[in-house]
Amino acid sequence: MTETTERTFTLPDLGEGLVEATVLEWLAAPGDAIERNAPLVELETTKSAVEIPSPHGGTVARLHAAEGEVVQVGAPLVTFVVEVPAGEGGAGAQSGIVGRVPTEEEPPRRRVRLRPPEE
Amino acid sequence: MDQVFPAGVPIRCAVEGDPAAAGGAPPVLLLHGFGSNHEMNWVRTGWPAALEGRATIAPDLRGHGGSGKPYEDDAYTPERIADDVVHVLDAVGAGRVDVVAYSMGSRNAWELALRHPDRVRRLVLAGFGPNDPFAGADLHALERDDSPFGKLYRVAGTLPGNDLEALAACARGQASRPFTPDPVPGAPILFAAGERDAVAEDVEELAERCGAGVVRIPKRDHATAVSARALKEAVLDFLAVEEPAGSGGS
Repeated sequence: MTETTERTFTLPDLGEGLVEATVLEWLAAPGDAIERNAPLVELETTKSAVEIPSPHGGTVARLHAAEGEVVQVGAPLVTFVVEVPAGEGGAGAQSGIVGRVPTEEEPPRRRVRLRPPEE
Repeated sequence: MDQVFPAGVPIRCAVEGDPAAAGGAPPVLLLHGFGSNHEMNWVRTGWPAALEGRATIAPDLRGHGGSGKPYEDDAYTPERIADDVVHVLDAVGAGRVDVVAYSMGSRNAWELALRHPDRVRRLVLAGFGPNDPFAGADLHALERDDSPFGKLYRVAGTLPGNDLEALAACARGQASRPFTPDPVPGAPILFAAGERDAVAEDVEELAERCGAGVVRIPKRDHATAVSARALKEAVLDFLAVEEPAGSGGS
């Protein structure tokens, strides 16, 4: 059994002591279905541009900042409607380090061992 | 995976997939810009996901990231950097690659394609133009230089892991070989830049000279074009074009 609940993703700590970022471009719109780890939004900091992957699979419910708007670390960025096992709804907002999602398993990436450089 | 390859100066390189695999599309070599590194330039901007299905080879150029950081200016000429890249390609078993480069990476990708034409199938030169990126800069006093490059240098100095002495040597080494648009590499080229990218000014003239296309990314500048979806789509389209029969692509 599943039920749906809302999860709000707040602007994560982007590292380098940065406290805010500007929304460059949303890569998903309200009503869109989005997979976990799919590109969600591009942000600009004073030092670089970053693409943030979606921390959840679900449906985009609301965007909390328009393109060009400055968002503080910890402020709401986007709210999703996600499916959760019955009885586990309402777990609340989650945030994490960029590119990393606290729950669920990381998908395996294909990796190879390299030969030593002599041949 | 990060590996360090001895190439005179140790080079850290992230490899995804199998660049030595035969058949299919060639691996993509990603060359980052000045003061950046492969992680900041490519990973955090979403390129691994965009290039999913292609093997990728992303070194930290000497003087940058996890690679060696010599203090001699002449360690940073485009030919030295192109040689590092060839060492890396040899070490990972990559033959011919598609190159996607940004800013200073593009200057060195151009050198790579001229010096080692057998290693480059296609060339994407982003955030790059024919004009001198060091114009007006005093490369011996960058800590108090007010030119656009001097400002970029100081921003780079605030990033963790950067060594300003090595970066200044890198700037002088690169500046010792000013870019000239002649000769033009034989590989097909795509130029791309944010429409507000001052570094890429006059790239249209360079592209015309090269018989190459230009993609301008709306509303983006030098710092923000690299993550743009429009850039990724243009690059994927360019790299996916079928080669004409008999062109010798393998």
